[in-house]
Amino acid sequence: MIQAIAVKLILSAIVAIASIYVGLGLKGVDRKLAARMQGRIGPPLRQPFWDVSKLFQKENIVPYHAVDWVFNLMPLVAFTSAIVIMLYMPIGPLKPVLGGFGDLILVVYLFAFPSLAMAIGGFSSGSPIGAIGAQREMVVMMSYELPLAIVVFSRAMILSSGGIEGLTLKLAIDPWSMVGMLGIIGLCLLLASLLMVIPGELAKIPFDQPEAETELAGGVLAEYSGRNMGMFYLADAVKSLAIASLVIALFFPWGISSYFSGLPELGGYAVTAWALDGAFFLLKVFLILLVSVTVVRVVMPRVKIDRASSFYMFTTGAIAAIGMLLIYICINGGF
Amino acid sequence: MAGKSYTLPIGPVHPALKEPTMFKLTVEGEIVTAVDVQPGINHRGIEFIGMRRNPLQVLHLAERICGICSIVHQYSFALASEKAAGITEIPERAQYIRTIMAELERVHSHLLWAGVAAHELGFDTLLHWTWQLREWVQDVLEIISGNRVNYAMYIQGGVRRDISPEVIQKLKVMIADYRAGIDQLCKAFTDDRVFRHRTMGVGVLTYKDAVETCAVGPTTRGSGVHKDVRIDQPFGGYADLDLDYCLPEKMGYENNGDTYAKTLVRLQEVVQSLDIIEFCLDNMPPGPIRWESNMTKLLQHMKKAEGEALGLNEAPRGEMIHYVKLNAGDENVSIWKVRASTYNNILAWTKMLPGCQIADVSIIAAAVDPCIGCMDRVTVVDQDTGKEKLFSNEDFYRASIRKTRAYQRKVSP
Amino acid sequence: MANPNLGLILKQLFSRPYTNRFPVKYAPASMHATMDAVTSGKAQITPPVPAPEHYRGKIAYDREACIGCKMCIKVCPASAIEHIPGPDGKAKGSKVKFYMSRCTFCEMCVEACPKDCIKMTGEFLMADADKNSDALIVKDSGSFAAPAQPAAQQPAPPTA
Repeated sequence: MIQAIAVKLILSAIVAIASIYVGLGLKGVDRKLAARMQGRIGPPLRQPFWDVSKLFQKENIVPYHAVDWVFNLMPLVAFTSAIVIMLYMPIGPLKPVLGGFGDLILVVYLFAFPSLAMAIGGFSSGSPIGAIGAQREMVVMMSYELPLAIVVFSRAMILSSGGIEGLTLKLAIDPWSMVGMLGIIGLCLLLASLLMVIPGELAKIPFDQPEAETELAGGVLAEYSGRNMGMFYLADAVKSLAIASLVIALFFPWGISSYFSGLPELGGYAVTAWALDGAFFLLKVFLILLVSVTVVRVVMPRVKIDRASSFYMFTTGAIAAIGMLLIYICINGGF
Repeated sequence: MAGKSYTLPIGPVHPALKEPTMFKLTVEGEIVTAVDVQPGINHRGIEFIGMRRNPLQVLHLAERICGICSIVHQYSFALASEKAAGITEIPERAQYIRTIMAELERVHSHLLWAGVAAHELGFDTLLHWTWQLREWVQDVLEIISGNRVNYAMYIQGGVRRDISPEVIQKLKVMIADYRAGIDQLCKAFTDDRVFRHRTMGVGVLTYKDAVETCAVGPTTRGSGVHKDVRIDQPFGGYADLDLDYCLPEKMGYENNGDTYAKTLVRLQEVVQSLDIIEFCLDNMPPGPIRWESNMTKLLQHMKKAEGEALGLNEAPRGEMIHYVKLNAGDENVSIWKVRASTYNNILAWTKMLPGCQIADVSIIAAAVDPCIGCMDRVTVVDQDTGKEKLFSNEDFYRASIRKTRAYQRKVSP
Repeated sequence: MANPNLGLILKQLFSRPYTNRFPVKYAPASMHATMDAVTSGKAQITPPVPAPEHYRGKIAYDREACIGCKMCIKVCPASAIEHIPGPDGKAKGSKVKFYMSRCTFCEMCVEACPKDCIKMTGEFLMADADKNSDALIVKDSGSFAAPAQPAAQQPAPPTA
């Protein structure tokens, strides 16, 4: 028992550290590519690491009017909850570390946590800019929850039609092979709506109203500095990895090692196969973030908050709902 | 919605503002209900410095009022001091070169504005693209004058550098390329759905408000007001040109004074400026470029001159006025007063901002192309206490009434 | 739904960045070490974009040709020129010196000079921690009549 707990703890620590590194690396790639798309040179790939290490060395200023314990606690909450999401995610060939202790519903709620922490932090900062940012954060969050929930439940519907526990994240189940032609169209729509949710979830242009540099001067983050700011920065990096992992877990849970035979093994473990699958996983994460974050934030301006809300509630929600309907017809009508 | 209203400060330093100024918004939820503009943070006392220097020195000081519309300040000051000193025979070639420089600057100023507007909307790709385009006009300005900003081109009675035939060739290539580039830029701005959504119907300045707040330049032309110094009171090379007001209706949009209309006005003006430059290059008369090339003689003339004059000019942001008074025997400029275009335009904020969303504040504020460096002129510092006091319109009004009363008492005891 | 800017960003992604090259690609860990390596010839830096022909840069001053007429001081808007009286405090043999930290590079002194003993060079690297350092005060740049000195035209190596 104790041994099992110790293994889980060690694995959790490894996953946490690895996801911080990968998350920051992805941020670097995102910044570099965005810069090149805009005709700039852009920062070096290691810039996010420098940024974080600098932030952690800097003075941590708490505003005079802030509720200081909430103000200082919220970055920690955001950061830890982002890490905890990763512990529930299947990462490439690895099964989720805490797979036995929760399912997809928990993960969806965990995704709300960093945003919630940011909003509370904004409210507690005592600045009107932070308060407006926090209001916007809540509005955006409530809006994208609807399409997110529809996607998760549609997937559960497919899985339970095949006699599998619908909300599990433990098994790499390919939903595409479980539905007919109509269902595949439905899945495409669901994938599209999930990709649309990502910029809102990560507060990136065009849905970065909570931070909105030119309108609110950083919004929820306006009063944060030093270590607290660094914590939010890390939370953001890990969260972008986590949301990409969610897309992979729901829609693309394949590895490529099974297509190769005779991969060398080390001491009875399929090390090469794992490395191959791990690299393929990273490639998938990169492609998902490229399509849904980097390109989108480069080609679009920021939209207004009412527009963002209606986009998620109606446009994305409708796309997801149609997808769900198609899948329902496919499963129950036998198309 | 009976929400609690609170004050949201924008400034003195804010990412949406490129220069320090301050306005306080009263906000209910996401809606702005009232605006209080509190300028005066970028005051540098440049007029005070100017009144301790001779007109030739002030010419280059005037340029440094603003980094973007620098040459129009020099242009206005040159016009005013020439009028005051009675210099009338400015060579035609010099006037054409003056016009070319002013129009080149308008191109770069409007492109800069377009980039800033895109940035205010979080559209950094368009910002970088616009500024790529702008780099070229800056290079041309550098080739002509020797520097990218603060061109030091004008002098009383002419210009200081000629435009050589090689540079004319370069300019023509640039203009041809710019026409294609501006075309693409117009498409990028007008085709983008989010941009249209963010600017149409946002920050509306009605015709009535535009006239009442005495707004100038593209801000007021967006509302359909026919106001342009280059056309109303032609000066320099503009007198030979057949110009027309740039109005949004020419691009198939209503003259409703919203931010989109102002964008269209500016984009049109870039093309108009290119036309003007091309005309001036094609019709540039030969001849001298200076009324008096000996600087000692020029200084002597200015020293002997007595008079006062206004120099009017159409800056990229609108009408700008320099008032200059010269006293005979006094080497220095006796009185120098600048009224830059932003001083008028900033009042339009109070009409445009109430009722908008917080998200729109930055683009509305940017829509008048505020140039705070130009505007902030009056700060009064109490020497005994060291306290600063900014004079508002009302203070001036009261002070003026007090003074009138005092004179009345003096005249009729 | 096609975004009008998609083509633009794809084109820019695969073409060279528009930004001018920085002297070194990214900020080095130690600026002093890099500077030393560059001055000793071990490392290369990207040279600055050349200034155009009529660029208004650092002032060059021919002290010998100067007659001390003070015309340049009269027209200088920034009071960047100091008058140095001649021997025994007389006007005869008086000279000037230029404080580049105050200079606004308007070229008025160059035009006003009756002896053409002032000119503006293409040198623009004038950053210094001390605004009164010797590098920023022009006292004498040698005679202009002598064959053109190539050293005056090229930007001096920045001091570490």
